[in-house]
Amino acid sequence: MRHLALLLVAQAVALAVEERVPSQAAAVQVSVLAQILILFGSLFILSAALGLIRFPDFYTRLHASTKLVALGGLGIFGGAALAFAPMGANARVLVIASFFFLTAPLSGYMIARAGYLRGLRPYREETSVDDWGLMGGFPEASSEESA
Amino acid sequence: MIVDLALGCIVLAAALAVYRVLRGPSWGDRVTALDFLSVDLAVLIVVLAMRTGIARFLDVALIFSILGFLSTVALTRYLLNGRVMR
Repeated sequence: MRHLALLLVAQAVALAVEERVPSQAAAVQVSVLAQILILFGSLFILSAALGLIRFPDFYTRLHASTKLVALGGLGIFGGAALAFAPMGANARVLVIASFFFLTAPLSGYMIARAGYLRGLRPYREETSVDDWGLMGGFPEASSEESA
Repeated sequence: MIVDLALGCIVLAAALAVYRVLRGPSWGDRVTALDFLSVDLAVLIVVLAMRTGIARFLDVALIFSILGFLSTVALTRYLLNGRVMR
């Protein structure tokens, strides 16, 4: 039984190695401008993840993730639209990009609103300004009005 | 080469976000990291479409971004109201 499993694994590995695309640069011709845009976008996405790791509380992490991902998506989708232009598929990339730019700030807004209304605190109370709380809408009281 | 580098950056970002999902002190950090992961997967599939030259992956990326946004909305509504729909 064990030998049979090992044999199957070996077959799968051999098939995977055989069918692997030989290491070429990219199957789509990516121009220099598109390469610059893709590099820009991927570095911004990586720095968004670094902010997600290193920042101290919920609001700063949300800030890093949402805004830097929007900027990184600008680069990646712009580069993809330029790279797919000869194949005639750049309209689809633009559809993805427009949907992405409609929904990314909205999801960030909804997460921040849920966090505020459920009472997540910033890590330093003395440097934060709570405008909504000052206007009288205390968080726990108004958590039902959104439905 | 640049596309491979971008692929590596995006996968590394996904790994860091998974760390934040597993360890996040509050639920808000987990929701933030899950939202980041959904967007990151859509971007990863777009880069993979460029890497392999299969333009059909772009439809997959569109579906992934729609599902990620809907899951974020459902998760925040559930955490805020205790239910997703009325």
